Amino acid sequence: MTRKLMKRSVLVLGLGISSLTLAACDGVSVGVGVGYGYDPFYDSMLWNDYYHDVDVDIDIDRPDRPDRPPVNRPPARPTPPIAKPPARPRPPVARPPAARPPIHRPAPRRG
Amino acid sequence: MRIRLKTALAACAALWVGAAVPAAADTPVTYTDAERALFSFAVPDFWVLRTGGPRDIEDTELGDPRAVARVMGFKPVTDDSVWMGFVSPAGVNSIQDGLRYLEDIDKFLVNDPTVTSTSDTRIAGLPAKVIRGTGTRDGGVSFTATIIDLPRGRVAIAVTILRNGADPAYVDDLNAVFASFRSLQ
Repeated sequence: MTRKLMKRSVLVLGLGISSLTLAACDGVSVGVGVGYGYDPFYDSMLWNDYYHDVDVDIDIDRPDRPDRPPVNRPPARPTPPIAKPPARPRPPVARPPAARPPIHRPAPRRG
Repeated sequence: MRIRLKTALAACAALWVGAAVPAAADTPVTYTDAERALFSFAVPDFWVLRTGGPRDIEDTELGDPRAVARVMGFKPVTDDSVWMGFVSPAGVNSIQDGLRYLEDIDKFLVNDPTVTSTSDTRIAGLPAKVIRGTGTRDGGVSFTATIIDLPRGRVAIAVTILRNGADPAYVDDLNAVFASFRSLQ
């Protein structure tokens, strides 16, 4: 009996581990350690020291640093075509009485 | 009956051709700055585009806000080994300025950049400078930075990054982006 139980548990555990191992080999997985929204090159291209006096040792003759661009605040947002939904109407204080199902009556005896 | 069969065949052929042509088309995208359209390009099929906008970002150490231009970046939907980005920073008027600008972002884009070649070319009929090189960023990468001299005192800067081991077929997609590049000034 004990032997049979051990055999069964070994079988179940083995199958479980093998299925997990097979699932890890799934070819659908994308990238390595890169989660949603993580975009290193995008963030790096945003960042620069061009308009700032940062001490960078570059030995070639660089052109003069241009004036800082005017800081243009983004213009006011136009009204979008999709309007906000109206506020949800408040329920009246007194709720109408709940419609009760008709009480089941025994059918008249059929002659 | 024979005539009907022929027309049916022709209709089928027309459907096939019609279905094949839109599948090869890319998605045109226009880069604008202050409601001024600067240039356009086509994003390859099955690539995902991320757009930005002008804004200020503050340096946490120095504490000074800096103006940031719109960056448009795109990469294949199912692959992180290729990346391409466009930016047209304000105040950068010529290819010389563009080189200077690139020197200030390359240290963020890749580590230990080594320029292997530079060349002058024309993209969409406009003078352009191409800088190719290699560097590291979570593994080896090869990069190509391109400065395109747009009319009326603007430049377009395109940076493409290919990680080592990326599918070489992506090079065709990247070159197709340059082939679709048009100045809108």
